[in-house]
Amino acid sequence: MASLIHCPHCGVRPKEEFSIRGDASLVRPDPEASDEAWNDYVHIRSNPRGRYREHWQHAAGCRRWLVVERDTFTHEVFSVADAASAAREAGR
Amino acid sequence: MTRTYISRHPLEDLLPLEPGIRAVDHLDIPRAMAIAAVMAMDGEEAAVAAGLAASGDVQVRFTGPGEWLILSQSETPEELHRNLSLLLAETAYIVDQSDGRIVFRLSGPNVRRILAKGIASDLHPAVFEIGTSSNVLCGHISVNLARTGENEFELIVMRSFAVALFNDLRVMGREFDLSADFSAQG
Amino acid sequence: MTAYRLASGGLIDRRAPLDFRFDGRNLTGFAGDTLASALLANDQLLVGRSFKYHRPRGIVTAGASEPNALVTIGKGAGSDPNTKATVAELYFGLDARSQNRFPSLKYDFGALNGLLSPFLGAGFYYKTFMWPAAFWEKVYEPIIRKAAGLGRAVLERDPQAYEKCWAHCDLLVIGAGPTGLMAALVAGRAGVRVILADEDFRLGGSLLAETAHIGGVSAPDFAEMALAELRSLPNVTMMPRTTVFGWYDDNVFGAVERVQKHVAAPQEKLPVERLWRIVAKRAILAAGAEERPLVFGGNDRPGVMMAGAMRTYANRFGVAAGKSVAIFTNGSAGYRTAAVLAARGIEVTAIIDSRTDVSDVAPDGVRVIQSACVIDTKGHKRVSGAVVERCGFEQTIACDAIGMSGGWNPAIHLACQRGAKAVWSEELKTFLAPDVGNGFVVAGAAAGRYTLAGCLKDGAEKAAAIAADLGFSAAVQAQPAVDGEADPSFTALWYSPGAKAKAFVDFQNDVHVKDIGLALREGFGHVEHAKRYTTNGMATDQGKLSGINATGLLAAMQGISPADVGTTTFRPFYTPVAFGALAGTARDEQAAPVRKSPLYGWAQRHGAVFVDSGLWFRPAYFAQSGEKDWRESTDREVLNIRENVGLCDVSTLGKIEIFGPDAAEFLNRLYCNPFLKLPVGKARYGLMLREDGMVYDDGTTSRLSPGHFVMTTTTALAGGVMSHMEYCAQVLWPELKARFCSSTDQWAQMAIAGPKARLVVQALVEDDISGAAFPFLAAGIVTLKGGIKARLFRISFSGELAYELAVPAGLGEAVADAIMEEGRAHGICPYGLEALNVLRIEKGHVTHAEFDGRVTPDDAGFGRMVSAQKPDFIGKRLSTRYGLTAADRMQMVGLKPVEPDQHIRAGAHLLREGAKPSTLNDQGYVSSACFSPTLGHGIALAFLKSGRERYGERIVVWDKLAGTEVVAEVSSPVFVDPGNTKLNA
Ligand SMILES: [Zn+2]
Repeated sequence: MASLIHCPHCGVRPKEEFSIRGDASLVRPDPEASDEAWNDYVHIRSNPRGRYREHWQHAAGCRRWLVVERDTFTHEVFSVADAASAAREAGR
Repeated sequence: MTRTYISRHPLEDLLPLEPGIRAVDHLDIPRAMAIAAVMAMDGEEAAVAAGLAASGDVQVRFTGPGEWLILSQSETPEELHRNLSLLLAETAYIVDQSDGRIVFRLSGPNVRRILAKGIASDLHPAVFEIGTSSNVLCGHISVNLARTGENEFELIVMRSFAVALFNDLRVMGREFDLSADFSAQG
Repeated sequence: MTAYRLASGGLIDRRAPLDFRFDGRNLTGFAGDTLASALLANDQLLVGRSFKYHRPRGIVTAGASEPNALVTIGKGAGSDPNTKATVAELYFGLDARSQNRFPSLKYDFGALNGLLSPFLGAGFYYKTFMWPAAFWEKVYEPIIRKAAGLGRAVLERDPQAYEKCWAHCDLLVIGAGPTGLMAALVAGRAGVRVILADEDFRLGGSLLAETAHIGGVSAPDFAEMALAELRSLPNVTMMPRTTVFGWYDDNVFGAVERVQKHVAAPQEKLPVERLWRIVAKRAILAAGAEERPLVFGGNDRPGVMMAGAMRTYANRFGVAAGKSVAIFTNGSAGYRTAAVLAARGIEVTAIIDSRTDVSDVAPDGVRVIQSACVIDTKGHKRVSGAVVERCGFEQTIACDAIGMSGGWNPAIHLACQRGAKAVWSEELKTFLAPDVGNGFVVAGAAAGRYTLAGCLKDGAEKAAAIAADLGFSAAVQAQPAVDGEADPSFTALWYSPGAKAKAFVDFQNDVHVKDIGLALREGFGHVEHAKRYTTNGMATDQGKLSGINATGLLAAMQGISPADVGTTTFRPFYTPVAFGALAGTARDEQAAPVRKSPLYGWAQRHGAVFVDSGLWFRPAYFAQSGEKDWRESTDREVLNIRENVGLCDVSTLGKIEIFGPDAAEFLNRLYCNPFLKLPVGKARYGLMLREDGMVYDDGTTSRLSPGHFVMTTTTALAGGVMSHMEYCAQVLWPELKARFCSSTDQWAQMAIAGPKARLVVQALVEDDISGAAFPFLAAGIVTLKGGIKARLFRISFSGELAYELAVPAGLGEAVADAIMEEGRAHGICPYGLEALNVLRIEKGHVTHAEFDGRVTPDDAGFGRMVSAQKPDFIGKRLSTRYGLTAADRMQMVGLKPVEPDQHIRAGAHLLREGAKPSTLNDQGYVSSACFSPTLGHGIALAFLKSGRERYGERIVVWDKLAGTEVVAEVSSPVFVDPGNTKLNA
């Protein structure tokens, strides 16, 4: 895991200021979606080696949810973006 | 029967740290301060920021995108709420936090060395400029940190953590004989 | 007497003698000494017993790689075991004890292990103690633990203070030897923010023991000049006594500073050690190189020492390691040491050189034996001779110390700590650091540039390149000329053939050459396997001296290149760090921050006994004089609330203000029950689900205006719910116009409950709060007599007529006092969490004891609350899946023991009458239980399969932990006022 995260709102911060929720690529299905879609959304997670997009919250800072794209193996962080902006861009 | 209720500061029994002693590194704690949280309505973030910047009497602390803490030494909580409501009508939501937040003012030549014991951010004068403010972790406690002068910082903390933060700051400042007391002006 | 203090020389202050103790003996050293140099000066060479065989061991190095000279410094709770004497700075009154010996260093019973050594080879733990299994814990382990081991951990609380600190810089220079000093100078002059850290108490590194001249001045003087200039630069921070122990992600370095380990009387206001996290834009590793030991028979005899260490002791500390010294070398470095010793008047009896046809020049009159090896040493607690073999002929050379020089191992550890593997250099016959990018570069001897001129040049050039990269203009001035440069060349010699005694590879863990061979033969030849099998490199020194030799041996034994063997994995910490330093100030009262309610002082004044509740301290009960336990106080409080009135601090409940045109829609999606049509001035109980359909949290939410709601959460999940809401608002539904913030700390909130609650509250409030004007679930802003605006909610957890009054936190105590005053006539009492818990169990109200993450709304009896009309809410979809709607789910019921004096405890399991006590026959479990003073007997809330159909049935409450079985009757979970007449009064 990274030691420092560059919050787009607050700047460089130690990882202790963040809490991690997990996979950011999941999209909440429509309430009418299939059982399988909901099962995948709620229960099924991959554990990739390499590039991974996660939801992190800057809990001790701006309280914003962020999308952190990082490498689970090298710990390199590729990008950090505001999750609401990312969600809007994704058309949600 | 009409009653008068006296407000109590959470550090009432703990200050001054040592009566009559004021060291070069000092923690100054205002007894009362009007504080309000301001949250811009969707799309009004820039307008609110501009409105706050233009209002001279208050101090503006950044807490998150579209969210600020506003401090006023001269107004009562009700006055601050009313004035902000007028200033930011239809553009922001305002929540009184005057009793929910406690302000600590830390000043002195060793202030950065004291804060480095709890805060990970780089507080070098050229990096953390006067007027900068942000929520940061100080030890285990989330605070709003602002640089208010050359060697002056202000920490705003949730009231329930005030005693814990005070104890932390005391230990952090022990090396420099940090003194602490309520503000003279009230 | 053999080792002794030289008459002159060294960077010690001979006018400042320091008395110290070692194993009870009073000794004297000088300021500037390490404990090791002072011990040597007092001819105390024997400093410990080895780990496994209890062989006598002496000082081997003059630095952090020391495997043998581990001592315990200090007495009692504050003592530090396993301190390396070679880096411990001497101070007045230092009290050190040797370790791993019984009863004394000189006479050690454990040395019998040496006689048993044929049975103690590599893997002996695994082989010998396999069977019988029960013997391991009872017999083998205690014996091994007693016999093996190093220092003993202190069991008392450490009285010393520690702290943690952050630091930031453009360039961190690790090591203040020639390379580091030049790097810091070049970068510092250019204006770069530099931190220069070095583990030594005196900065200068190898320059302090160097005889060459730099730019016409002696090496130590050159170091002093550089340091003086660095001190004058405001952008340079020097950190002596600071070991950089770890390199972490994003170029954050861990370091430990020994602030007061070296002072006789530590100041109370300073920590003894300070843990640094250094955030560095760039870093240079200038940690130098370790001299490589030679592996030969009897090489662990006290008196056998690294040749370079002998040179350091002579030049820096003015100490001779012996009166007549033999040097065993495979390179030029041995000749350099011989020259230094000879110049200091120390007799060098011979140089034994494993090489042939060498051109190195020995000091005048010193015999050189080429193509020769030491195969054994004579003596017991001190070496008395070296047995040298040359072309099949043996000779014994009398000496009282042997200096060994086996080449160089660059100190690359830090650069390899983040996964990149060290790279074998065939040219230098050693492992070099991998290229880890431009954030962290290795320079000087650590990069295999062993000459002094090479170090100065490399440090300067790499620092200049970094400065330029960071946008500073750095000028590399011409490097000063070095006069008297040493030749670092050597020919690798992994072991000295023909050993006649154990040839040790790892001194600290007693691993010798045959152990490595055994590991290889038994299939543990991989370098990582061999490490575990033999324990080579697993001691506190982490193989600083032994690691590369083990690799070389494994390679030589297989006839392959060390490149194909590789090294074991480098991990933090570079040297051991005290747990105290890692904890910093976060211990005792400061282990976690304490949150205090605005009514804390009020509760204290009323005799509250507090209990931890997350970070909060909350009143458990209010003891009155004469009450002998919590039950008595709690029972009184409960009965008083059922009959009169009580006051409880509920400030810790989470409070969240929600605003916006979509606030109602937001709540409607968040809760499983509907919120769109909640009228202004009303509170509603709400259930939040997790997406999997289980209950997450509950609380009431009130509408203060069309676009303003106030939510309460449980104390436990206040933070979690806030975070969940932020996730929903920002990630799931960014289109909703809703904003919220916590106001938990703004309000002091008090529950006033009991039949007389209205009388008390009305006495304080100007507004009409009669049943008609302010009915159950009313919520709004009221004015206290005296003009204070407050929030009033008519909600009840106890089942009584009850209000929750919220006032600005600072006024909390004053308002609570006023309530108590007004309530006195009505018999008011303060009540705590225990009474609150009894009251809610009696009423069948749930908490997180019930909502434990496995419970659906229907399980808890809230099935009808869940909206079927709402198109969507968190948890809707999975609430309808088969498993969550099955008829035999466990449903919440009440239980009361058939024998009224019997007790039920939470956690107990439910069985059908007559069923065998086994979880296979599990029918459910008890979630909450208490004695009900209202009913006069025990009651419980439980989850029972199809429970709501089974009221009246008798079941067995089986508590395996308490060893009890209690027959109980199943009932409705509402024991008190099922018709809600009290609530609605
Ligand atoms: Zn942030």
